[in-house]
Amino acid sequence: MKTAAEYVEQVLTKHVNEPNCHTLDFYVKNEKGYEALRKALTMKPSDIVDEVKKSNLRGRGGAGFPTGMKWSFMPAKPVDANGNSKPKYMVCNADEGEPGTFKDRLLMTKTPHKMIEGMIIACHAIESNKGFIYIRGEFHKEIRIVQKAIDEAKAAGFLGKNIMGTGFDCEMIIYKGAGAYICGEETALLNSLEGKRGEPRLKPPFPAQVGAYGMPSCVNNVETFAAVPYIINEGAEKYASFGIEKAGGTRLYCVSGHVNKPGVYELPMTMTLREVIEVAGGVRTGHTIKAVIPGGASCPMLRADEIDVKMDYDSLAKAGTMSGSGGVIVLDETVNIVEAVYVLLKFYEHESCGQCTQCREGSHWLARMFKRILDGGGNTDDLDYVAKICGNMAGQTICAFADAVTGPALSSVKKFRSEFEDLIRNGGLHPDKSMASSHAKEGAHV
Amino acid sequence: MSNLHEHEIKKPKVDLNYSSDKKPVHSDPSPEAKPLPKVTIDGKAYEFKPGDTIMQVAERYKIHEEIPRYCYHPGMPIAGTCRMCTVEVEKAPKLMTSCSTPAGDGMIVHTRSEKVLKSRTGVMEFLLTNHPLDCPVCDKAGECELQDYNFEYGPALSNFKEEKRVYDDATTKKLSNDVTLNMNRCVHCERCVRFTDDVTKTNDLVMVNRGWHKELEATTEAGLTNEYQGCLTDFCPVGALTWNDFRFKKRSWFLSKKPSLCDGCSKGCNIEVHSDADIVYRYVPIHNEMVNGHWMCDSGRNSYHSYMNPLRVTSPLMKHNGELHATSIETLLTEVKAQLKNASTVQIVIGTDATREEAALLKEKVPALIGKNVAVSYFNGTNGVTTAADDKKLDNLLKMKDLTPNTRGVEEQGLAALANGEISADVVIYFRSGRAGIPKMKADQKIILWGVWSLEEIKSLPSKNILAVIAGHATIEKAGSYKNADGIVQKFHPAIVHRGGALSAHQVVGVWQSLT
Repeated sequence: MKTAAEYVEQVLTKHVNEPNCHTLDFYVKNEKGYEALRKALTMKPSDIVDEVKKSNLRGRGGAGFPTGMKWSFMPAKPVDANGNSKPKYMVCNADEGEPGTFKDRLLMTKTPHKMIEGMIIACHAIESNKGFIYIRGEFHKEIRIVQKAIDEAKAAGFLGKNIMGTGFDCEMIIYKGAGAYICGEETALLNSLEGKRGEPRLKPPFPAQVGAYGMPSCVNNVETFAAVPYIINEGAEKYASFGIEKAGGTRLYCVSGHVNKPGVYELPMTMTLREVIEVAGGVRTGHTIKAVIPGGASCPMLRADEIDVKMDYDSLAKAGTMSGSGGVIVLDETVNIVEAVYVLLKFYEHESCGQCTQCREGSHWLARMFKRILDGGGNTDDLDYVAKICGNMAGQTICAFADAVTGPALSSVKKFRSEFEDLIRNGGLHPDKSMASSHAKEGAHV
Repeated sequence: MSNLHEHEIKKPKVDLNYSSDKKPVHSDPSPEAKPLPKVTIDGKAYEFKPGDTIMQVAERYKIHEEIPRYCYHPGMPIAGTCRMCTVEVEKAPKLMTSCSTPAGDGMIVHTRSEKVLKSRTGVMEFLLTNHPLDCPVCDKAGECELQDYNFEYGPALSNFKEEKRVYDDATTKKLSNDVTLNMNRCVHCERCVRFTDDVTKTNDLVMVNRGWHKELEATTEAGLTNEYQGCLTDFCPVGALTWNDFRFKKRSWFLSKKPSLCDGCSKGCNIEVHSDADIVYRYVPIHNEMVNGHWMCDSGRNSYHSYMNPLRVTSPLMKHNGELHATSIETLLTEVKAQLKNASTVQIVIGTDATREEAALLKEKVPALIGKNVAVSYFNGTNGVTTAADDKKLDNLLKMKDLTPNTRGVEEQGLAALANGEISADVVIYFRSGRAGIPKMKADQKIILWGVWSLEEIKSLPSKNILAVIAGHATIEKAGSYKNADGIVQKFHPAIVHRGGALSAHQVVGVWQSLT
């Protein structure tokens, strides 16, 4: 079994296991720290955007939108109604909340400077002088570390006024979220950043026209920013070569669930889901895979016989699921799928912002229905009705949350229908077989 | 966050959609003018102004009934959250919300395609999953958008087998003395929140919590503090917000609805008088872009009570043996004539709540009937207002300082304001229809009251020497016209029939003439 480093050069996570890897000294000494920034500041902003376009870097937050293209959407010289020029903002989405995803957290604790350097370069590329880092409220430690890193960078002259004598100013502000999953959606994040309810906005206008505080803004994920210094340092071609034609570079996969070595693995996008699971030590010894959620909880799940799919954006889409945020959740044969999906649906029921009718009522309905089936009150009509509810939810709302709810619900009924039918026939899930009860025995709160 | 520049924290300006008085637009026929863009809705092409959303085009041509909506309201910013107004736009991958999608030239829109109807059925089913369906005891029943749209689009049966959501104290929660909130019925359209945020700008209401247990709450313990709370209950599409004054009084389908004007202040808000058997149950505003938009204030809304007051004088009263007694108008006028003949000086005071027609009648016809030199002046007496020049706006919406409807219309007659606000002649005729104030007077002042009066008002007058009361019609019972604060003349017709013995000013003058 090969380790991740044997598959591909560790662009992001090479030094994460070394002591003090989060400090500026370490970063400058071992990772060519802030050299990319020095180089980028001598480049024209449009050249940086072109370089990132060439690298085929796609957004790592879940949607996989080409990053260079996103930056190029930013207006060159925005003006308001009175003809005064408007500022532009760079926003870092560090509200990592997708169940099964924990890569941004690793980057923030271990190599915060990589993200900050990437963000300063991005600010230069879109000619913005201010960046907001929206960090999930529960990430106390990460907020502390990133704030320290910003202070260090400022003291060393990499942030603030007249960076490295080039006359470029850049400021970075950390904003702490208040604990809503939906604030990971970029327009909800912008609302939350402005101090409003974290509810997604109607689009258009897109953030590139009307973003944070009504100004043109660009929102990118932590991992996306962290990849930028490497692209500038080593060239777009080299970074692109780690990936496939339409998606360059390496990706961080957060493998969790029933594997021998759960954790974050940096791998090329050319691998299959089965290979990714193998790198994480394979399914736990003595057990077999039942289902895999390939990209965070919102993605439709795959059966054990479907995991030979390539992990790039398009191959997964062809397989009826999504690459999402890279959270691979492996479920072995001890898991009852209905219960596992119920746990996810309960999460979604709790986290729906409640703006749109379908999402607010549908997520609640699905969660209650799954609970009823688990408790033995289900009947086979319910299973047909799951498809109908999901059909009424998907693609009908402002943001993609409703689609995310239907991902696990619909795929579980489609692919594991017999498990539902067993529960319906046998009057629900036997307490001994329930995850909740086994957790309760261990004293965990579910 | 302290070092944000000043220009950064400015809120993006939301343009209120007050231009919602939408009328069809036509291209300039001259050959050099650029033709207006056209959008095809349900197979018919419509011209529109660039910037209109699909819903607004539909409103221009009065085809908006085809598009159901909950969160959209023409007087408020667009939310796009209820997803009820979705339409199919050709070449768009998903259904689009017509309230928020700008119409484009050559766009082809279907408002009733199979896909659209299926989506609407879905929304209706979702909304009804947690709705208590307590229509038999709900005040909104009969005028409820949930009922109407469910009748048109909803599924026949629901497959929702779970327990319905129940909020704490759902049925007894008072947002203020005037508004009751039943959260169980709420469809979370948030019109009310946007109304207090963007129209009254008082930020009284907020949604707390998330998702399906999202709950409407007042932002402060004081509850609702704005003076347009009644509007919340008008546009609430369901019975979540109800107006306590109307609560449990009348089923909406019994109400007959006639347009009229509110005479509570100089704004002249356009209203609909809802009555049954000529008993008024409420006023609701009707849309008039030039006057009141979609709204009216609470004091105006409550002002019908003074006309429905059981102590209102509804038959002619005449002083006999020191007390007022009901009599016939002929007897009364005969006696009045005698009193006026003996009086050394006579004065007519017209309240600024008289219609323009009544003011002209009193100025021109009545002095001739009295047959001597009569001083005619007008009197306002509300909120310290003497003439129209004292009037001013009290807030950013509708409320005016002058609490009578027609100061400008009465001034048009070329009358002078009552000097010092004090009546002084030997005998004074004071005409008022229930809104103008009480002038200063001596304790033994001989007065003939005319118009809308209540017994309480008469008892509280400084003068104890009331010769007669000629009962008259109130605004909602008569026809006429008022000139409002913005100089707009608005005509109105009777909204209800006066069932008592009061007569219109013209009728009284007619009888008076017949006596001579």
